[in-house]
Amino acid sequence: MFMNTGFFEPGKTKTERKFIQQAVKQSQRLDGRKSGESRDVQLTFGGEYGSVVVSLGDTKVMAQVTCDMGTPTTSRPNEGKLQLYVTLAGVSYLDSVQKTHDKRSLTLNSLLERTFRTSRCVDLESLCVASELHVWCIRVDVNVLNHDGNLYDASTVAVLAALMHFRRPDVTFTDGELRTYTEKERDMIPLLFLHYPVSVTYCIYTSNFQPFVDPTLLEENTADSTIILSFNSYQELCTLNAGGTVPTDVRTIMQCARSAANRCKAMVTFVRKALDQDEQQCLEGTKKNTGMLGLMENSSQKLSFKTLMKGDQKQQQYKTEDMDLEVEAKPNPKLEADEGENADNVENVESDQPAQEEELPMDDSGWLPQEPEPTIDPTKQSPGKPKRKRNKGNKKKQ
Amino acid sequence: MDSSNAIVMPGERITIIEEVAKEKRVILGPGLRRLDDTVVASKAGPLRHKEPGTYWIDNYQRRYVPARGDLVLGIIKGKAGDQYRVDIGSADIASISYLAFEAATKKNRPDLNPGDIIYARVLNASADIEPELVCVNSNGKRGKLGLLADGFFFKCTLNLGRLLLRENCPALAALTRELPYEIAIGVNGRIWVKANSLRETMALSNAILTMEQAGYTEIDKICDSLGDVLQA
Repeated sequence: MFMNTGFFEPGKTKTERKFIQQAVKQSQRLDGRKSGESRDVQLTFGGEYGSVVVSLGDTKVMAQVTCDMGTPTTSRPNEGKLQLYVTLAGVSYLDSVQKTHDKRSLTLNSLLERTFRTSRCVDLESLCVASELHVWCIRVDVNVLNHDGNLYDASTVAVLAALMHFRRPDVTFTDGELRTYTEKERDMIPLLFLHYPVSVTYCIYTSNFQPFVDPTLLEENTADSTIILSFNSYQELCTLNAGGTVPTDVRTIMQCARSAANRCKAMVTFVRKALDQDEQQCLEGTKKNTGMLGLMENSSQKLSFKTLMKGDQKQQQYKTEDMDLEVEAKPNPKLEADEGENADNVENVESDQPAQEEELPMDDSGWLPQEPEPTIDPTKQSPGKPKRKRNKGNKKKQ
Repeated sequence: MDSSNAIVMPGERITIIEEVAKEKRVILGPGLRRLDDTVVASKAGPLRHKEPGTYWIDNYQRRYVPARGDLVLGIIKGKAGDQYRVDIGSADIASISYLAFEAATKKNRPDLNPGDIIYARVLNASADIEPELVCVNSNGKRGKLGLLADGFFFKCTLNLGRLLLRENCPALAALTRELPYEIAIGVNGRIWVKANSLRETMALSNAILTMEQAGYTEIDKICDSLGDVLQA
């Protein structure tokens, strides 16, 4: 059963701050991870379409997608709506001040808005049934069940997985009459994606300029600045959220970006694999039909990043060789699953995915600058001071 | 101490104690209360007994309820008049007077800032007024109380704090065999540790946190693995 494991917020005393700074100086973390090592991500899918629980260490986030018919805005008459609602009420620290709590939920909300709405990851035009009259409104509820740091990554993964897991009913609009088909009449339709964004969070301390990925709450509270980067699976930047007091130079940010881009790509692959596995289980009927409580229980079946992605690290090395195989192998199970009238629609999705995946090797981090050679470094540092100042100015604006 | 695992639930009438009470005086500890001639549990958990006649319920709880004489770890939150406001994890924020430190006078005030940790004793605890702390004993000496500098500080459940403080608990002794360390345990579920090096402090705090789930038999195992980790 889930439980608010923290109860009292850590990282509020000088002793803790000093200790973590010292530990960071020696590149040590309390849970024994390396600076670039993340906690294991676990996905649990609910019985309903679009309900997912993501746990990242002790952090636990639940996302639920629902849909509804509505009228479009006048400015965008042929687009559906995507709305995100974040609730942090599940975490109530006994000694925390309400102010920090509000700030946290605002930050999380704005990050999710920028990652999923502003970057236009869901094809909203495909959600239009009748222009200016009827569109689908997709609502995503994000519930934070337990907070042990890095809410951002857990929430973005949860929202992405929930949106990808979600299916909406088919609908027709003829002679001014709207007809919604039940699941028995017509197969449910998945959402169309333009790209798949996920975020990665880094903490930076004054005592060591090396960024620490996937911070726990203690590390997050004692950090001098936090950088959140969202990338999609094509390694395009969707969101950058930087703040704090450490003078971060361009190199650090680029270093973060490079590893974040790889991590995001792996994460999206993981979500895809988990979805495939879940679908297979549903088809075979081996999946336990769990309710809301079952989702949060520890006994429920979890799809873990570490186990699912074990073989993937090797695959990445011969990416180009395996690519053709993967493309061929992927559509088959899904096509079998989605036989029926909306097969055309499914094919659309399928044709989208392989095409984009084939592009991958080409734009593979081409925009990311190479690590500057050590010989160039000293020359860079002397004119580097004005640069840093400019950075600070930027941060304040954000 | 009798560690029989009789679990009682709130509202349950406990006849064992009533039997004993007929012959001798009994003391009802936390989680037990007397209703006329009966003894009733008000919390859930295993019923504990200590000779000659003390009974209490060892219930799992994370909110600290202050009691007079408790040793607690508090975080300084700020200054208010001639008092410091201290967070001890109770419903109310506690207070400690400037004069409640060793050798403190009106002129010679202790130098404490928000975020500092102090080890203090609860002087006054009543349901209706905020708890009051003190950092000296009745002779005006500080003893082990006062500001705790360096080291590492973490919060845990009340049970872990009580478990470590139990007279016959082998945990602290077993840890002493592995490494030298300083520790301050507050019954309000807060622990401060300090070992020679950062690495040792880290390992120590992790070991202590794992002990919560462990039985007495597993404590030796944890300490062994702690020794292995430190030697590697």
